[in-house]
Amino acid sequence: MAQEQTMVTVKIDGQELQFPAGTLLFDACREARGEALPHFCYHPDLPVAGVCRLCQVEVEGMPKLTIACNTTVRDGMVVHTRSERVRKASQQILEMHLINHPVDCPICDQAGECGLQDQYMNYGLYESEVEKRDKVHKAKAQVIGPHVILDKERCVLCSRCVRFCDTVTGTSELGIFQRGDRAEIGIAPGKELSNAYSLNTVDICPVGALTSRDFRFKKRVWLLKSTRTVCHGCATGCSVRVDHEGDRIYRLKPELNREVNGPWMCDQGRLTYRSVHSEKRLAAPLLRRDGGQVEVPWAEALAAVKEAGAPGAWIASPQQTLEELALFAALAGDAPRSGGVSTAGRGEGDAILIDADKTPNRAALDWTGLPQHDAGALIGLIKGTKGAVLVYGGDPAAEAEGFLAAVGGRPLIYLGTHRNATSEAAAVVLPVSAWAERDGLLVNRQGRVQASRRAVARPEQAREDWRLLADWLRESGAEDAPAGLPALRRWVAERVPAVSGLDLNALPAAGAVPAGAASGAGGER
Amino acid sequence: MSTPLNDGKTFALEGEDRTRFDALLAQYPTKRSAVMPALWIIQDRHGHVSDAAVTWLAGELELSEAKIREVLSFYFMYRETPQAEHVLQVCHNISCHIMGARTVLTHLEKKLGVRLGETTADGKFALEGVECLGACGMGPCMQVGKHLYEHLTPEKCDAVLESMRKGEPLRPDTDRELEA
Amino acid sequence: MSHEQYKILSKRFGRRDAHKLAVYEAEGGYAALRKALQQGREKVIEEVKEAGLRGRGGAGFPTGVKWGFVPKDAETVYFMVNADESEPGTFKDRFLMDYDPHLVLEGSIISSYAVRASLCVIYIRGEFGWLIDRMQAAVDEAYAKGYLGKDILGSGYDLQVIVHKGAGAYICGEETGLINSVTGRKGQPSIKPPFPAVQGFLDKPTVVNNVESVAAVPHIVTNGAAEYRKFGTEKSAGTKLFSVSGPVRNPGVHEIPLGLPFKEFFHDWLGGMADGEKLKAVIVGGSSVPVLTADEAMGIDLDYESCGAAGTMLGSGGMIIIPERCDMVELIQVLMHFYWDESCGQCTPCREGTGWLHKLVRKLRRGEGTAEDLALIEKVCEGMAGLTICPLSDAAVMPMRSFLQKFRSEFEALVAGEDQDGPQTRWAREYRS
Repeated sequence: MAQEQTMVTVKIDGQELQFPAGTLLFDACREARGEALPHFCYHPDLPVAGVCRLCQVEVEGMPKLTIACNTTVRDGMVVHTRSERVRKASQQILEMHLINHPVDCPICDQAGECGLQDQYMNYGLYESEVEKRDKVHKAKAQVIGPHVILDKERCVLCSRCVRFCDTVTGTSELGIFQRGDRAEIGIAPGKELSNAYSLNTVDICPVGALTSRDFRFKKRVWLLKSTRTVCHGCATGCSVRVDHEGDRIYRLKPELNREVNGPWMCDQGRLTYRSVHSEKRLAAPLLRRDGGQVEVPWAEALAAVKEAGAPGAWIASPQQTLEELALFAALAGDAPRSGGVSTAGRGEGDAILIDADKTPNRAALDWTGLPQHDAGALIGLIKGTKGAVLVYGGDPAAEAEGFLAAVGGRPLIYLGTHRNATSEAAAVVLPVSAWAERDGLLVNRQGRVQASRRAVARPEQAREDWRLLADWLRESGAEDAPAGLPALRRWVAERVPAVSGLDLNALPAAGAVPAGAASGAGGER
Repeated sequence: MSTPLNDGKTFALEGEDRTRFDALLAQYPTKRSAVMPALWIIQDRHGHVSDAAVTWLAGELELSEAKIREVLSFYFMYRETPQAEHVLQVCHNISCHIMGARTVLTHLEKKLGVRLGETTADGKFALEGVECLGACGMGPCMQVGKHLYEHLTPEKCDAVLESMRKGEPLRPDTDRELEA
Repeated sequence: MSHEQYKILSKRFGRRDAHKLAVYEAEGGYAALRKALQQGREKVIEEVKEAGLRGRGGAGFPTGVKWGFVPKDAETVYFMVNADESEPGTFKDRFLMDYDPHLVLEGSIISSYAVRASLCVIYIRGEFGWLIDRMQAAVDEAYAKGYLGKDILGSGYDLQVIVHKGAGAYICGEETGLINSVTGRKGQPSIKPPFPAVQGFLDKPTVVNNVESVAAVPHIVTNGAAEYRKFGTEKSAGTKLFSVSGPVRNPGVHEIPLGLPFKEFFHDWLGGMADGEKLKAVIVGGSSVPVLTADEAMGIDLDYESCGAAGTMLGSGGMIIIPERCDMVELIQVLMHFYWDESCGQCTPCREGTGWLHKLVRKLRRGEGTAEDLALIEKVCEGMAGLTICPLSDAAVMPMRSFLQKFRSEFEALVAGEDQDGPQTRWAREYRS
């Protein structure tokens, strides 16, 4: 819109600042103070409740303190967020939140990322005057759905979870029953918190009332490091963060990306971290020998690949990154190639975030000249070639009936991460990196290029995909084969017209859609 | 007054109740806004609102069961379990207290052989303490069903209980038909 | 009797036939509606503003001004009558609906007309079961006679009325709580802004008025603002129903001219204390206002300003007379139990604070209280007052603070261990769970 935005002048804690008209005082205060006002119930993506009463500030001219989350800035407003009156009120209201709160910290997963702990350390630090015997007790450790467990006693009744289920998923499984200090969060008997986004309630719960069953008692949060990356569960490509200790991933959480997923992600996506540590991981190179597959050193496996000769058919998959696919296509040269089975990796989508395409990078296959084929066409392609068949990711042996018969006795070489039908039929298996173990670019359903990041180390014997491919490219005579990740991305930009206008080494955090790129259904809601 | 529930597995309003329910949906501007009077129709017929009734109502009003249960659990007059035949709700708020509610309550406890909050073994009487009933100048008072008994004394309580036990017509103080 | 002249709202109280439409019409009923429809809504609003009618539910906000907040271009407007009367000590709206339901209805129709409402919801607390029947019967009569429905009395104005039954929640007496209850939600108050007059029921402009307020409207329309102002003071115009409880000779509902000195009301209208009773304290306007000592009460006039100046509030007009024999700590325990029962639970200070206050007072009454507990009570009050969405929190704090402040010796006696009333021990320990 070309309209000029009216600005208003507001004084916060002595600082005079300008804000666009209509700015929420809560946001204005955060900007002025450099940190948010204390709060539990306010959330920018949920309707305002105004019930926790913590974000109250002094606005000159108003007799009572005002909640900043429900106030819009007005020109000339004078606000105090750190006055004695406000500080005292914050402390008193915080104390009210704690009088019936169980001191579960030693056994509560929320410890270390708990709103009550944080607020108490910031401005509580008082002596409790509540009689323990008078505390209100409520039900604890109640499984309320496949992914979420509820502790009613810890709940501070901020109502975020209820508002989430009412307005984001529209499923309304949660309610606050009864009134007064008997009020408690819950579900209807016989019902479950089973919507596809239930774990977001765990994210937004400021305390340990709603916690993840998957994460329960596994790791103290202060031991975790976080790496921002992209979910590989479907073509939406939500921004996520991988929380890991050392090389073990413990959970995924969404990262805010206003262009893609807002602050949310789906439950299925959250659990994709499990595949990284699956017992089906290919841990070492394998050669077919004596009717079975035996582990061999890399040198021996690579020698076997050389001996098999230049592959006559090159088959990739939409699980690979843009760089990996570009290298693969360059290696294939003029030989028949495919992006894999077009019907594989399809499921159900919804109107919120989940895409029916369960692969993270199908759009990049077209950009790199690796079109997909349906089962019949793929088999036809194979039959029309001679020599080794090189499969990179995916599982065509399971996805296309007759694939193995079509390959016949030809050497089948598999580059992949997990044991599957194709790997088990292969003559040579080369283990490479799982999605959280390597850097790479993905193209989502919006045509948005996003950077996926390495969070944990790959297994000792697994290789970094792009280096392996680049080495082969160099060995085949290409002098310009890239030798480092930045160089790789420049190399990709030169060869993939769709991204030629982007600086792939400096993408914004929310990713970028190249001008003119196809954009399917998408965008965060 | 209570009539036996449908088999407990499924529930539906029938006959005149269904007619009144349909009329509600025509009267109220949204389905959701009809939830309170709908709960009253169910409770007036069955004495309480069962789980099956909640499931039925959720379907009719296109609300989740959780939203129906929020309303059901928030308002004290709705009951989720079967009630005694006569629920005696005695006000224990300030004005009735000043005028002798405690004496009345103690007397009723003794007469019925139950403590406040309990039901007699034969399921005939339940004794509850409730907040202000809006009869402060005529207290102590108690509510039974839709009527009030006011100016309570132990003697008056005895007379009311006697009528209830015998199944005789009752004469609450707010029954205007009696004045005609 | 000179008191008769003030019976404007209460003139039909006690009669057995006045609820019938035929009787009401014969005595001039629905003439005000006819006049209002002829005058037009602007004139009605003007007259009510001029009359200085103030909300009779407890807040005392000028009714005409409230009506004026509705945007003139609003397409859909709702009017709601607050008959949720649940303030302890208050039982005046009940009398209006019992003996003069058509007066309430006529006032509701005129008020709805004034704000251009297409639907009027009369929200009656669930405990008034017999009154709900009575109001519904009156509504049915009115529909049959053409005072409700389409093209009322040929004016072109359509109005639907719903009699809505509550189900036991004091908080539904708060106007946004009432609106949310009608919406089919829990009766929890809403944050403001938005204000109901602009965005209320189903996000449309909604005006909520007390039963007694709407009952005054026909008189104002028929006889004019000046006539209404014949009684009362400049700022507290008109008459008010006071429902009086406690051991006075004449408890019940009295209609007084606002500004009447309490002393006069007490002696001439209420007949003073009943035999053997002595006045100790007075709660003037429903349990949520600060208590007055007998001496303080004798010094006030019964109007909004005078009560405010005396550190209390006229409130709902639910007057509770407390005799000498009463233990003030016992009474405040009763009240703290009430607010704990009735807190809707949304706002943390009220939800947790009402429970805490109740437990602290109970602790004192069990003989387990300490001097620190008295200070703690004040601290809890401070963490509750003025910090919540609605005034229920303050409604608990005002009696608590005033009882503690004005009858402190009784609280201190409990701390010192003198159990003033032996048989209370079981009561306090077991009854007040």
